[in-house]
Amino acid sequence: MNGLIKLELLRALRNRKFLFFSVIYPSVIFLLASNQSGTNGKVDGTGLTVAAYVMVSMASFGALTAVLMGNSERIAKERESGWVRQLRLTPLPGRGYVLAKTASAAVVSLPSIVVVFLVAAAVKDVRLDAWQWLALTGAIWAGSLVFAALGVAIGYLASGDAVRPITMIIYFGLSILGGLWFPSSSFPAWLQDIANWLPTHAYAALGRAIEQSRAPHAQDVAILVAFFLLFAGGAAWLYRKDTLKA
Amino acid sequence: MRPARTATMGHMTTTATTTTTPVVGFEQVTRSYGSVRAVDGLTLALHPGETVALLGPNGAGKSTTLDLLLGLRQPDSGTVRVFGTSPREAIVAGRVGAMLQSGGLMDEVTVAELVRLACDLHPRPYKPGDVLARAGIAQIADRKVNKLSGGQAQRVRFALATAGDSDLIVLDEPTTGMDVSARQAFWSTMREQADQGRTVLFATHYLEEADAIADRVLVLHRGRLLADGTAAEIKAKAGARRVSFDLEGPIDEAPLRALPFLTSIDISGQTIRIQSTDADATVHALYGLGVYPRNLEVAGLGLEQAFVAITEAEEARQS
Repeated sequence: MNGLIKLELLRALRNRKFLFFSVIYPSVIFLLASNQSGTNGKVDGTGLTVAAYVMVSMASFGALTAVLMGNSERIAKERESGWVRQLRLTPLPGRGYVLAKTASAAVVSLPSIVVVFLVAAAVKDVRLDAWQWLALTGAIWAGSLVFAALGVAIGYLASGDAVRPITMIIYFGLSILGGLWFPSSSFPAWLQDIANWLPTHAYAALGRAIEQSRAPHAQDVAILVAFFLLFAGGAAWLYRKDTLKA
Repeated sequence: MRPARTATMGHMTTTATTTTTPVVGFEQVTRSYGSVRAVDGLTLALHPGETVALLGPNGAGKSTTLDLLLGLRQPDSGTVRVFGTSPREAIVAGRVGAMLQSGGLMDEVTVAELVRLACDLHPRPYKPGDVLARAGIAQIADRKVNKLSGGQAQRVRFALATAGDSDLIVLDEPTTGMDVSARQAFWSTMREQADQGRTVLFATHYLEEADAIADRVLVLHRGRLLADGTAAEIKAKAGARRVSFDLEGPIDEAPLRALPFLTSIDISGQTIRIQSTDADATVHALYGLGVYPRNLEVAGLGLEQAFVAITEAEEARQS
């Protein structure tokens, strides 16, 4: 089990393209997006500077990229190649494969969060209390599990050929509609109504509540929990179906 | 067919879990895909230390049989036991090492890393260096798995199947993609495994492999066990020897067809070809007919011909 996590991690760290998009890319967008409106502007109705607002968006986006992109494609391809079958001939418990994938994604998602924070603090002078930095890191890291479960579910749902476009559509759809790229307050009202129910929106709202030193909205927590149960339940069901098919 | 084995099997069915627990036990196992019965009422037992070939044409049910044995598929009816437990329990206990044709490899890692993983997962692992050396892949240990040739990938799969001290090794067409010398090297490695007292089961459609390596051959056809015995016994079952000769003048067929121990006869022109389970007696009786056979030849039947004869006989019986 540990051996598999180690090997999955090694493989992820060797994949430069994946590392760039999950660790470096969110910081680059952060710099571009927070520059546009000037560092000291406030985002309407939040009391947060643009830099602080976008920082949470991009940290969430980076974590989303790390846990969603790699796993869905790998799982779909490895189901097709027969590696999943080969692993079933070892004493590794059935869940071990999915757990190793999730664990290795979680290891990559942590730096993708922290790098955005470091860039925000160093370049854009974002200042928060120590507990807020820690809570932000913890909340965004833990919240990424929702999307890790989604990645696993897509990997078991899609075929090797279809997995990339499907993942891309879901990934960009959730990122943009959930307000990770542009504040959802800039959306037309009908689109805001949709955005408010997306897990990515609730995910970023969680981080912003910490920045504002207040308790997160119960609705956001409930949405995240509901989506986690939906994705994890779906992944478990699809996994079991795949196992019976051999 | 083989009295000793029949006795063991009879004993086994009455006292299931005593000292004679078979390595693998199939009891009336059936598995269908839609309307196709891939495995049809299969009952068999493998015993410790045997090297067994599972022989059959494509679509005979070999792969399904191995999938059932390894717990990758569940039977529709009947039971599959491995070392007296479920296939999964036997695998978790590290008692089974298996290499499947359909088994993929993790890519973007090196051969050595993959073998180390297999050792890491096995409860009684060997040293990764030893596993690499024994599988003959030490020299490609640093190569990426996705850069291997077909034969090399097969050797890596073999290394994964033998990463630890398993009691049963299952191989599905292991020499696919290997050239002749690689194949020979592979089987000498495999014999070492068998010589250490392991039970080896391999599926193949290379009949010479079954003939040369297995001390027991199971012939599978349409999901059913057609024959079970040594390669020699399988040949005997099909009609051990081939007798051919020419006769001059008009041929009187009736007495030829009545020759003793004859299993088949083919008369084309002046040439007569006979398969016989006792060629000596058949030839003796032939001379007793008062004919003068010319160009008389008596030859052993290859396993391939035996195999064809058995499956043809079965098809004829069914239609």
